[in-house]
Amino acid sequence: MAEILQYVHKDAFLHRLHPYTKIAFIIIVSIMCIIATDLVFLTLMVLAMLAVAAYSRLLAELLQQLKLIIVMSAIFILITIITIPNGEILGYFIPQGIPVIGGFIPVTVGGLTIGIVLTLRFMVLIFAFQLFLMSTQPRDLVNAMEKIGLPIDYILMFIIALRFIPTLQIEGQRIHEAQLARGFNPGTGFIGKIRSVAPIAIPLVSNALLRSNVLGLTIDMRGYRTGKKTQHVRESTLQHRDYGVLFAMALACTGYIVLLMNQII
Amino acid sequence: MIELNNVSYTYPHTVQPALHRITLSLEKGRCVMVTGPSGAGKTSLSLAASGILHHEYGGKKEGSVVIDGKDVTQYRSLSDLAQNVGVVFDDAEAQMIFTTVEEEILSALEHRGLSAAVIEERLSGIMKTTYLEELKDRSPHNLSGGQKQRVALAATLALGNDILILDEPTSELDEHATKRIAEILKDLKDQGKTILLIEHKFGQFHEMVDALVVLENGEITAQGIPSDVLKDDHVRGMVLPDFSAVKGIAGTATDSEPVISVQNLTHNYGNVQALSGISLTIRKGEFVALVGENGSGKTTLVKHFNRLLSPTGGDVIVRGKNTKDCSIAALACDVGLVFQNPDHMFFADTVREEIAYGVKNLGIEHGNEVIESALGDAGLTESADLYPRWLSRGERQRLGIACVVAMQPGIIVLDEPTTGLDGYEAILVINILKKLQEKGHTIIIITHNRDIAEHCADRIITMEGGKVISDTGSA
Repeated sequence: MAEILQYVHKDAFLHRLHPYTKIAFIIIVSIMCIIATDLVFLTLMVLAMLAVAAYSRLLAELLQQLKLIIVMSAIFILITIITIPNGEILGYFIPQGIPVIGGFIPVTVGGLTIGIVLTLRFMVLIFAFQLFLMSTQPRDLVNAMEKIGLPIDYILMFIIALRFIPTLQIEGQRIHEAQLARGFNPGTGFIGKIRSVAPIAIPLVSNALLRSNVLGLTIDMRGYRTGKKTQHVRESTLQHRDYGVLFAMALACTGYIVLLMNQII
Repeated sequence: MIELNNVSYTYPHTVQPALHRITLSLEKGRCVMVTGPSGAGKTSLSLAASGILHHEYGGKKEGSVVIDGKDVTQYRSLSDLAQNVGVVFDDAEAQMIFTTVEEEILSALEHRGLSAAVIEERLSGIMKTTYLEELKDRSPHNLSGGQKQRVALAATLALGNDILILDEPTSELDEHATKRIAEILKDLKDQGKTILLIEHKFGQFHEMVDALVVLENGEITAQGIPSDVLKDDHVRGMVLPDFSAVKGIAGTATDSEPVISVQNLTHNYGNVQALSGISLTIRKGEFVALVGENGSGKTTLVKHFNRLLSPTGGDVIVRGKNTKDCSIAALACDVGLVFQNPDHMFFADTVREEIAYGVKNLGIEHGNEVIESALGDAGLTESADLYPRWLSRGERQRLGIACVVAMQPGIIVLDEPTTGLDGYEAILVINILKKLQEKGHTIIIITHNRDIAEHCADRIITMEGGKVISDTGSA
């Protein structure tokens, strides 16, 4: 089963970086791709993310969600074409030759460009966050977030939300099997999808609620919320490679600003 | 270390007290085991004894609980209680907060105000005592139920508290893994820990248990030294059930027609071979017990009977049809599968509707009669209009069976049907199965309980590492 947004245990470049460096990385990458509107630049950023993934031996894991990303991208592009028509018309969704309804929904250069820009941004953001989560142990993440000053309740909420994704996936699978064994046959298509919700969703949600009670008690009984100062062990400090990466990112930022000032991107 | 004095407790929005006049004392370095039928209030008792009930739950509370010399009301919060009491809850999965085994234990250590060196030392000590060293980088969803239960225990041990309260820490474990937990707990007791253990498997813990407490309907009906308490026949039947009494018809099936025929079956999960070259024939009317350790491939094998899994190699023939050519829905008419955790299937508003679901799916005639008779067989007629999740574990287990029985499959497969049940409830379940066998159904159960396998089944198939290593019926 493809695991969504989970830490992958490896000994590679990104894994060895300090969480701070990686947090800086996602912040800078996010800002860069949100401000930039240039297609070529954004395409290069996507390629850069893939290159970082390949260098950190996480490419295969990163591309596991490719199908989802492609579907989402297609939806993005479709919506922008329909909602933001702008500039030269390339053609029509419904060919002009068809009487009455023909010539509706023009595909414009502007709409298409915005759609592609949004898609590329979306890809950069998703890839950057995935790389971050796949290469950072949740405990390091907790420690880093604690140091930045986030309240422990919020940190635990974040960690637990990530941690339970695969558990719910597996549980959903089991429930599905249990219902199949009872002759559950929702049929296909839209109606089938709707009919299939109750027998799967109700046990899934009920079990999750029960579980959350035990989970809450566990958090308290392990003393995570005592407010006592946490003694971190094996804490990593910023290494040469962290400084190297930070320096490289500073360079990239400078270059980026120059490009922005000259209105190249 | 723990004193419960005349403790009564009623959950909010309910009338019936969950605990009634409980008086229990647990001295330092001793181990008390609490047992009783499902729904008797064992978990409530563990919550009361750990002080959680007083701090976290509403409802009506009476009596006093003293933990480590201090009344429970004097503790400021759960975090305060956590300095003295370690609790392992029954749901192991819910107790994994982090994504690797080592992190889980380490995080519990880091909040105790210890120095880094002491933390490292304790971490390796705990990993060693709980045999988790090889699993240290695994994530929770890649662990078996038994391994998760060990991690939950280890993370609680990391707190270093002298009082340990454990709610059914071996419910999902086979005999071997249970023994392992029993050994760990015995060591802890020898180190001076005080242990309150909620368990059904007295047999495997008898060496370390100083006192046995029997809880029924929220009341303590017997307590004292195990050998004294066990003199009572009723308690004996609950704690050490005698399955030899359940012998039904035997040896009838040797020459009947085959209903399932497995030919050279292999199954791979990715690169892992879960089944390798299994061949066996099960005949109509047989009562087969499938035994073997966790992970030996039992569940994987039975999932092939109704095509929830398809063979990687080989064939499975059910009633003369190759499962490759049948849909899961069609096979559901022939093979009923009751999963280990009945809570994975309940979604209806009442017990009756829950049973009706499968019946409607298959379009069975005279549906109402069938449903009523399934309710009667499972002893659930009086609960027919209740919400399924309000039932006790034992009742839910029987409801799970009733749901499948009502679909009238010729072959009924049950995965661990006696998990979490006391002796009487287990016998009740086995009797239901025996009755079904007499009616001509073929019964296949997966079980960790050797007694049940030996006394109740006509044939025992033992699996190990994806292979059948012995089969008493193959002669």
